[in-house]
Amino acid sequence: MIRFDGVTKHFGGVRALSDVSFTIARGSTHALVGENGAGKSTLGNLLAGVHRPTAGRIEIDGAPVAFAAPRDALARGIAIVHQELLFCPNLTVADNLCLGDVPHRRGWVDRAAMRTRARERLQAIGVTLDVDRPIGELGTGHRQLVQIAHAVGSGARVIVFDEPTSALSQGECDRLFEHVARLQREGLTLVWVSHRLDEIARLCDTVTVLRDGRHVETGPIAAFPDDRIVELMAGRAVDLDVDVTDDAPSAHDTAARLAVDGLGRDGSFADVTFSIGAGEVVGFAGLVGSGRSEVARVLFGLDRATCGTIRVDGEAVVIRSPRDAMRCGLALLPEDRKHEGLVLEQSVARNTALASLERLARWRVVSLAAERRLAHEMVDALAIRTASVDAPVATLSGGNQQKVALAKWLARDASILVLDEPTRGVDVAAKAEIHRLIARLAAAGKAVLLISSELTEVVASSHRVVVMRDGRIAGTVTRQGPSDRAATQQRVLRLMTGVTTG
Amino acid sequence: MLRTIAPHLQQIGLVVILVAMAGIVAVVGGDVTVQHAVDGGFKHYRVNALLNADQLLNLATSTSFIAIMAVGATMVIASGGIDLSVGSVFALAASSGALVLRGLGPTGADASPALAVAAGVATCLAVGVACGALNGALVVALRVHPFIITLGTMAIFRGIAFLLTEGQAITGFPPALQAIVKWDLGGGLYPVPLLVMVAVAIVAMLYLRHAVSGLHVFAIGGNETAARYSGLPIGAVKIRVYTLAGAAAGLAGALSLGYYGSASSGTGFGYELHVIAAAVIGGASLAGGRGGAIGALFGALLIRLIDTSITILEIDQNYSQVILGAVIIIAVLLDQAVGALARRLQTPPAANGG
Repeated sequence: MIRFDGVTKHFGGVRALSDVSFTIARGSTHALVGENGAGKSTLGNLLAGVHRPTAGRIEIDGAPVAFAAPRDALARGIAIVHQELLFCPNLTVADNLCLGDVPHRRGWVDRAAMRTRARERLQAIGVTLDVDRPIGELGTGHRQLVQIAHAVGSGARVIVFDEPTSALSQGECDRLFEHVARLQREGLTLVWVSHRLDEIARLCDTVTVLRDGRHVETGPIAAFPDDRIVELMAGRAVDLDVDVTDDAPSAHDTAARLAVDGLGRDGSFADVTFSIGAGEVVGFAGLVGSGRSEVARVLFGLDRATCGTIRVDGEAVVIRSPRDAMRCGLALLPEDRKHEGLVLEQSVARNTALASLERLARWRVVSLAAERRLAHEMVDALAIRTASVDAPVATLSGGNQQKVALAKWLARDASILVLDEPTRGVDVAAKAEIHRLIARLAAAGKAVLLISSELTEVVASSHRVVVMRDGRIAGTVTRQGPSDRAATQQRVLRLMTGVTTG
Repeated sequence: MLRTIAPHLQQIGLVVILVAMAGIVAVVGGDVTVQHAVDGGFKHYRVNALLNADQLLNLATSTSFIAIMAVGATMVIASGGIDLSVGSVFALAASSGALVLRGLGPTGADASPALAVAAGVATCLAVGVACGALNGALVVALRVHPFIITLGTMAIFRGIAFLLTEGQAITGFPPALQAIVKWDLGGGLYPVPLLVMVAVAIVAMLYLRHAVSGLHVFAIGGNETAARYSGLPIGAVKIRVYTLAGAAAGLAGALSLGYYGSASSGTGFGYELHVIAAAVIGGASLAGGRGGAIGALFGALLIRLIDTSITILEIDQNYSQVILGAVIIIAVLLDQAVGALARRLQTPPAANGG
């Protein structure tokens, strides 16, 4: 039994957790949910010894514990499978699995013993991997399995999963869930930090909701339907059911704003043909690696196409660089917004203006007043929550950061928006808000290409869903009204995975 | 077959470049006449400009100073750090050793040869170790980027050498140290610097590849946070690699002191660039987590070969810096290309990736 008793944590002047008390039962799978910044990851990190509480205490089986480092927690049987996958990418699987306690003879590494131990640890959780491969060459899913093997192999009886599925494809998630089920059967206590409600409902038996660093409620998962959890997380009722309006134009009765014909790039995708009309949202679904993001990169001129044509408003265009793409009215909201979409240290105003500097400049000198005026417009239009337009973007929450990234393109009045995973790492309420924003942009006549790994999102927010598999278009699914959502989702999933029966 | 050699492709590539360059210089450079003292007279020989005993020995000796330091630098770079102060440590160690030896008198009359050698070598090593340990301690304690710390100590150490020597070249010591370093196999063949270099490279290779603390160096260079969470002694490992790099510079200083019989505060000026370039050409990644001692040795050899080739091919010496700089960049680019190729060959097809 793990008990949090009045746990408080400050980071500098910021209060991440205040006076949190609740209990996790042995052998249960306990969900920690909350919006970004609610303190759920901090709580997991405290339990695993990554951070130390400022006040209050953590008790295990009635005895208070104080961990100075993750190793101390591990010695007490508590491990963490971390969001950022803490490994040395240059070292092999075997090296990483044994790093804290390398088998040796008089200071010389005993490679044979190391390989054997690594294989045993992987086999213990039912995984077979080449232990001599550098871990940096493995995919995220495999690396996570190595982390689980490390935790279990080190004798952990409690494993904290910190946002484990945030970077996994659907297939990798399913594999992870199988392993989780195995750990549950073996009686381990699992703490599942996440904001994906579907996986929580599927895996967890108990749920604790946090909001603004405070404990809101703990109870059996059965007593908490999705909308109740969301309400507790947000502190207010949230309408999750965002649907595109059904009177939106179909591709047949409007001229295609963007038309792509036979587009291909050697080694990543081939024969991609689709079009998006003004006011239309076309979803791009597919497993990670199916070529969705690669198409986006080519459209925005980050990579060159090797064949095919792109037409904008009926005219054939050649896109060789992002500048070319921008001239055609294209905008890309990249998957990795922190590295590719924003300059985190700079202000909201500067980020908003980044793609429109020529327009704001006179004699090639940017007018700061114009920059701020533009930022104020965008902050109002998109309801961006920020202390001021001069605040660094890094201080904003994930959802608001994403809005700034989008504002950058709206400020240019881009007519074709390519959105790559626009709601990744964004909390539930902000997600719904972004979905509404997408619908609003489409209604205002933008052509939107929405790439998403989340099936519900892509189906709910798009008029049509183009499904990619293995670098080709596997099919296009058009939804027949709101009632058709579940069936559409089924059809998309079948196309994604290549399963044709059933 | 390709899959099995793929991990070694980079080293193989480096050796191929070395051999190709030596071959071209040997052919283009043609023959030269050298003279050797034989039986009180001189005898003249026609020999290849590169492939003759004198030239190769010169190359090997000048390589050995750089290579020994490059092996040390490889450890620092593999741990994710950088040491710009090696050239200055080299100068301070050699100058300090020279001052101690001069104190023993020009003939060594006041001391036994053994004592003279021991005092000289021990001084150089001790100064090297002290400088390296100071670098490491400052990096760990002040949490300032090692580039800044060693940029500072680079100036400080050379400044101390200048103060100690009062800007003069220090000469006039007991002959014992020189007798050992310039131990002659006959015909002017001095193998000692070469042997020391090879020994240092082999010991360092074994340490990095097979010692637990060698693995720790790569772990810290690969991901310091992961290493910390695994409970590795980060501070101790960092201080150790800087200390070893300092010791290597001290050892190189002792060899140069013995070989040339003098030292000054200007010794080894600008060596840090050659040393770091040698380590990087030899496969060390400035991002940390990668590097090899034998590679560093070959990297040093390539750099010295370029310098030697400029002399042999009678290229205007004024161009040597320009050529050297260009070759360093080209070598690193080639290395990256080969590395990318090696990774592609090693990555198994997705089908059996599970």
